[in-house]
Amino acid sequence: MMQRKMRGRGVAASWYGIARTATVDRAGAWAELDDGGTAKVVTGVTEIGEGILTVLAQIAAEETGVRPEDVTIGDNDTARSPEAAHAGATRQTYMIGNSVALACREAREKLFTEIAAHWDVEAATLVAFDGVLRAEGTNLAMSMAEAVDICKKRGVVPVGSGHFTSHGTGLDPVDGSGRPWQAYVFGTQVAEVEVDTVTGEVQVLGIWAAHDIGRVINPRGVEGQIEGGVVQGLGQALMEDYQTVNGHTTTHGFAKYILPTSLDVPEITSVLVEDPDPLSPLGAKGIGEPALVPTAPAIMNAIHDAIGVRIKSLPASPEKVLAALAEEEARQDGAVAAE
Amino acid sequence: MPEIDLSLQVNGRKVTRRADPGQRLLDFLRDELNLTGTKEGCGAGECGTCSVFVDGKLVKSCLMPAAKADGAVIETVEGLAKPGTLEVIQRAFHKTGASQCGYCIPGMVMAATSVLREAPEASLDEIKERMGGNICRCTGYSKIIEAVELARDVVSGKATPAALEEDGPGESYIGTNVRRLDAPSKVTGRLKYAGDMVMPDMLHMAVLRSPHAHAEILSIDTSEAEAMEGVACVITSEDVPGTDGFGVFVHDQPIMARGKVRHVGEAVAAVAAETETLARLAARKIKVEYRELPGLFSPEDALKDGAPVIHDYAPDNLVKHIPIRKGDVDKGFAEADLIIEDEFSTQQVEHAYLEPEAGLAYVDADDVVTVISPSQNITHHRHMLSEIIAKPINKVRFIMSPVGGGFGGKEDMIYQGMLALAAMKTFRPVRLVFTREESIIASAKRHPSKVRYRMGLKSDGRITAIKFEMLSDGGAYGMSSEGVMRKAAILSCGPYEVDNIQVDTRAVYTNNTPSGAFRTFGGMQAQFATESMVDIAAERLGLDPFEIRRRNMMRAGSLTHTQQRLDSASIDRVLEAAERASNWEAGAVGMRGPERGDLNGPGTRAPCTLGARFERPAGGKEKVA
Repeated sequence: MMQRKMRGRGVAASWYGIARTATVDRAGAWAELDDGGTAKVVTGVTEIGEGILTVLAQIAAEETGVRPEDVTIGDNDTARSPEAAHAGATRQTYMIGNSVALACREAREKLFTEIAAHWDVEAATLVAFDGVLRAEGTNLAMSMAEAVDICKKRGVVPVGSGHFTSHGTGLDPVDGSGRPWQAYVFGTQVAEVEVDTVTGEVQVLGIWAAHDIGRVINPRGVEGQIEGGVVQGLGQALMEDYQTVNGHTTTHGFAKYILPTSLDVPEITSVLVEDPDPLSPLGAKGIGEPALVPTAPAIMNAIHDAIGVRIKSLPASPEKVLAALAEEEARQDGAVAAE
Repeated sequence: MPEIDLSLQVNGRKVTRRADPGQRLLDFLRDELNLTGTKEGCGAGECGTCSVFVDGKLVKSCLMPAAKADGAVIETVEGLAKPGTLEVIQRAFHKTGASQCGYCIPGMVMAATSVLREAPEASLDEIKERMGGNICRCTGYSKIIEAVELARDVVSGKATPAALEEDGPGESYIGTNVRRLDAPSKVTGRLKYAGDMVMPDMLHMAVLRSPHAHAEILSIDTSEAEAMEGVACVITSEDVPGTDGFGVFVHDQPIMARGKVRHVGEAVAAVAAETETLARLAARKIKVEYRELPGLFSPEDALKDGAPVIHDYAPDNLVKHIPIRKGDVDKGFAEADLIIEDEFSTQQVEHAYLEPEAGLAYVDADDVVTVISPSQNITHHRHMLSEIIAKPINKVRFIMSPVGGGFGGKEDMIYQGMLALAAMKTFRPVRLVFTREESIIASAKRHPSKVRYRMGLKSDGRITAIKFEMLSDGGAYGMSSEGVMRKAAILSCGPYEVDNIQVDTRAVYTNNTPSGAFRTFGGMQAQFATESMVDIAAERLGLDPFEIRRRNMMRAGSLTHTQQRLDSASIDRVLEAAERASNWEAGAVGMRGPERGDLNGPGTRAPCTLGARFERPAGGKEKVA
């Protein structure tokens, strides 16, 4: 006997490739250790919301020894910055992050060479972090502002450039064989739902999202990407539906095209799994797109667990859920009648 | 209508202006006072990006005539904190990482401020209810809600202001929650998106769009529009000096319709004029004669013999077919103890980024044609525009403005070409801002898909063979369809090592709204089918859903569906992590019923119920009507 409100859980796994598909992907960046112990990074990137500017500032800070807030990132401008190609394909951290890391390493090397000569120590003993440069095994230390000043007075502007390549190959036109990506990520999500068997409404109450993202640069940023992906996946699973009649849309605006709001959001528990990428300097991979992949199937599998029907056509609107329940009931009645 | 005198107080300062009485408060704030922190997301009161306080009440300024605000006290996001400082709620947004693209954020900050003012002790449920009128497409709301709770606790003294400070870096900046560097400009409304930008002498563009799904264009008469006072130019495909055509994979789409229209909402002509209103009026004066053609509205129809042809280069209406073959599927199915077959479908989905498309183009002193827009791919747009306007590539410059949400929907160059042409024709800056309705009919969607699936398994759950066929509606233009089909095919059979595979994905042309790039690029549609099939198989075989996935998962050394040898596969670890975090109760797939220990535990929220969820203050009356 079914109660009015039924709960259930479902799981779905997923995989995804990082950066552009079945092609050689590339990105470039310039870096300069600048006056006042700051850093300047120029690359073809602008924030689309994923947090890339902060991620790049963290990477530049880590690689050069300045603080993230002392990093300036130039605008994405085809006439002023090196190509980093497009903002998509879960490639920003992987492609541009690694380019920035390599450019910063080159700039740092120039600075370290000069400071090592200035202090008369081996360059390999130098460590810079959080605005301070030290020579390990000695008491020698100076601020990054001083270090840049000394470097420039010795006649060297500490600049660097870098590029990163991801070696994908095209697919064979007949059997599709090929190496579309060099880095892969995997994910698994569990959904818990409550289905109202009278109204057909499905509420998602919990999502547990475990994703491999390689090395994590900014944990909160990763969580934000997972939460956003899950809620887009939830929208597609339960309510979003762009409709046309003979090519004319009947969902012109947000009054007709229904989107998830704060009231639809489940509690989301993100688990970050780190399987670092061995082919890149940072080891980071990506999360933007993969976060969304398992959400809808996990929800559909949870609906099945709750009420015993499978929704195979998205979205699982209340109408479809009720129709599926009625069909299942008729099937069971038929089975009883046949006995 | 005659102009009227408006006198009001905005952010503590007296403001007096002559204004058009039909103007919305939103336009008055943005255009007259340049307070562009108040954004337009939908123009219909649905999204909340334009929220401001009017006499202390949270109001959607797109629904309020400016004339109605005469004498009122207005507070916008710019007025919440002194310039250069942040209010507690703004600091909380900064701390929790509540802003992503940032376009909804001024409205969210206003709604959150309203919560703190009207219900300073609001519960989690009340916060969600009070924030329910504001749409965010990036964050999944979680960190926004966390920020409101944090600010509530700091204001009420339950948490100390130190809770708003940044965590230290420890020994490394990698792996640290550095606060988003762009957040202060987003939570204060300071960041300028393309639609917020103005240039001296700037013209405004309006676009005439097709009312037909498939029609031949017999003639376009722009004379009346061109003769109107204040109109600087009208452009059509005739104005394209080079080789017209853009697209992410195949350049099958003209800047404006050329000879025929292929979907409702396709750009046919555009006007640049002194004001946006004038540009829209002039666009309506353009006369287009059409001869309607039979349309194609389903992908199955598009593949039928004798179907209307939408693009001459593709007489079979096929955009792309991607095949993948591995092993021997006949042998695999012959070995199977169980064969299941099913069909799955997914719908067309709108990106619904809160920032509608917008751009600004000009020709600079070096004759460089420059386009500023929230394009996700300025590198490729530069290549394509240089061909279209027949200029060397160094005379074409694209600047990527802050993107108010993209998700793939801003990879297509659907309006930048028109802006460039108008700027070249007038040598004046030209700006175009889409309405929400324009954004919805003219931009690409997630591919709707149908999948026919056949899976063979051994009784222990091992998959022996998969036959997977996907048919997707690409709509009127190719856009990213080729790449979406490729990614769908590569990822189709999921994170499992399967020896025998036959996969075919196809996208076809129809006269529906085009489909294009959308977060996961086909991966979601394909894996929805696979993950449903794996669950059905587990049900039939009496296996736990984690267990059946483990029996098939890829491992280091596995051969993928495209026969790539993997050095590492973390699927074992993510399965285990999800199983552990969710406290999964093992059991075969089926309707497992409520007598279980795993439901309604930690990590779940309470379901929403009907009726107001606001708490009644002690002795007071409920605040919500």
